[in-house]
Amino acid sequence: MDIFVTLAINGLAQGALLFLLASGLSIILGLMGVVNFTHGTLFIWGGYVYIWIFGLTGSFVLGLLGAMVVAFAMGVFFEKFFVSRVYGNVPAQILITLGLQVIFTELVRVIWGATPLSIGRPTFLAGAWDISGVVIVHYRIFLIAIGLVIAVGIHLLLNKTKIGMIVRAGVQRPDMVRALGININTYFTLVFAGGAALAGLAGALYAPLVGSMTSTAGMHNQVLAFIVVVVGGMGSFIGSAGGSVLLGLMGSGVAWFAPGLATIANVGLMAIVLAFKPSGLFGLAVKK
Amino acid sequence: MILKKDISKKMMIFLGVLLAALVVLPHVSTLSTTALFSRIFIMAIYAMSYDILRGYMGFINLGHALFFGSGAYIVGILFNNIGNTVPMFILAIVITLVYSSIAAFIMGKIVFRSKGGGAASVVAGAMTTLALGEIVRHTAERWRDVTMGADGLSFRIPQMFSDRTMFYYYALVFLIVMTLILRQFINSPTGRVLMSIRENEQRAEFLGFDTEKYKLIGLQVAGIASGFSGVMFGVMNRFVNTELLTVQQTLNALLMTLVGGTGTLYGAIIGSGFVNIVQSQLLNFRSVHPIFERWLLFFGAMYVIVVIFMPKGFMGLYYSITDKRRAKIKNHAVKQTAGKS
Repeated sequence: MDIFVTLAINGLAQGALLFLLASGLSIILGLMGVVNFTHGTLFIWGGYVYIWIFGLTGSFVLGLLGAMVVAFAMGVFFEKFFVSRVYGNVPAQILITLGLQVIFTELVRVIWGATPLSIGRPTFLAGAWDISGVVIVHYRIFLIAIGLVIAVGIHLLLNKTKIGMIVRAGVQRPDMVRALGININTYFTLVFAGGAALAGLAGALYAPLVGSMTSTAGMHNQVLAFIVVVVGGMGSFIGSAGGSVLLGLMGSGVAWFAPGLATIANVGLMAIVLAFKPSGLFGLAVKK
Repeated sequence: MILKKDISKKMMIFLGVLLAALVVLPHVSTLSTTALFSRIFIMAIYAMSYDILRGYMGFINLGHALFFGSGAYIVGILFNNIGNTVPMFILAIVITLVYSSIAAFIMGKIVFRSKGGGAASVVAGAMTTLALGEIVRHTAERWRDVTMGADGLSFRIPQMFSDRTMFYYYALVFLIVMTLILRQFINSPTGRVLMSIRENEQRAEFLGFDTEKYKLIGLQVAGIASGFSGVMFGVMNRFVNTELLTVQQTLNALLMTLVGGTGTLYGAIIGSGFVNIVQSQLLNFRSVHPIFERWLLFFGAMYVIVVIFMPKGFMGLYYSITDKRRAKIKNHAVKQTAGKS
């Protein structure tokens, strides 16, 4: 029984991280129709910037903020100069974001080296509770809390504010939004950079969880986030939240009971979802 | 898109001269140039197999390396465990053929489920194939007893292939044969149906074609060709590792088809030549500045530049020039007849 509590917490923490990556990916896909392959590289940039700032200042919060700011700036740069040139051309979007991903992942190796950088957890989150044999790691609880806060925050932003209204309208009918005189391109940039900042935050939170950061972590987590998006339904915020939790829990369960089958289980889940419900578990009927 | 069944006389002469030059090449050049060209030939087939998917089916497959890498692994495992003989090589070819067509069938069954074409299916296809490729890579990494995991598998090859100059000729013959086969496939009725699916899947369906079946055939042909080039690549390097199964390896093929021009088949050959020569030249510059060792930086930059400034690649450039010239001649002729009347 104890093991299930531990596994559930592990899974939820993993799910929270995945959610940070997948929500941005999903909204970008829904709003702009862009499959953003730079998300993995933004993730590792977040992690490395966090390690760098944490090493300089010793401040956990500053590290996270720094990671988000850098990722946000990269997001603006990617969208303004590259992605915006190829809107409406899906293959070109995939290719251009892949190219950027390759360049910036390699830049990480040039700047910080190809070997993994190790990083500890901040002291106030380093401990663990031991409740009658069940070990609960503080940092994982913290991740779950952050995930919840961000999920509620995005939910409020999307549903209670004017910005959110425009973004939601843009997902449904971009032409109509444009026809109403709203400069949707600004929102494209904002959403892209916002998603980038979340990916950076995910990377920054991931590094202390695993204890190290490598340049190959980007692609791996990006694949997971893609699976979440496909399973949850493209462009659906609820879907990316549900999909992340599902994948996180499944991942921790599989890692305990059948290690080695982790990737196969994820892809198997995706194949099953695609086979029986191609629009995803929580898929909205997005009209384009 | 662009299909020229009948090759003009000029083109025949050009190809003849090119072939003669390539036949003579190993006798006048250094061994490293010969090796570079062998690599270009083999990668060209890999890139062409990708062009069938990307250029003729409009399908972005991000797991294409799984065919290539598996081909290399199959030949490596056979040579290592049973014996490095020529019959084993033939067996490797047969196993690759079977393996690739089954893998392509499974991949296609999963990916081509979402019907209707359009942007959504391209996106879902790209993501799903990416994940499938990762599965194969993970399996190869975990299955240490046979694949040696991340360390890679080095093996001995039959006497017949060990001479670099002879291998160059094998690669050249292999390239010519595969080009003819793939060209035949593209020009066949099946190839035509594939192109119609790319242009408008719904319309092709209404015309009575079972589009999923045709797409499966296309993916199988591409997978088999890719697997074969993987076998040759393994034999050339006498070494396989999981790098051949990574997304990066798929991106190699994508870049080569992009540079050469998608949907042209021959563009992939030009792209392979360009990319491989640039890569080896950049490595020569590393004594100037260590940044030139970072091939991936240039690789990514090339990607972005090609997509933004040269979306149709070298072949697209060539066709636009010849088309302009043809239009000019036509205009001229029209003017002359107009003047006469």
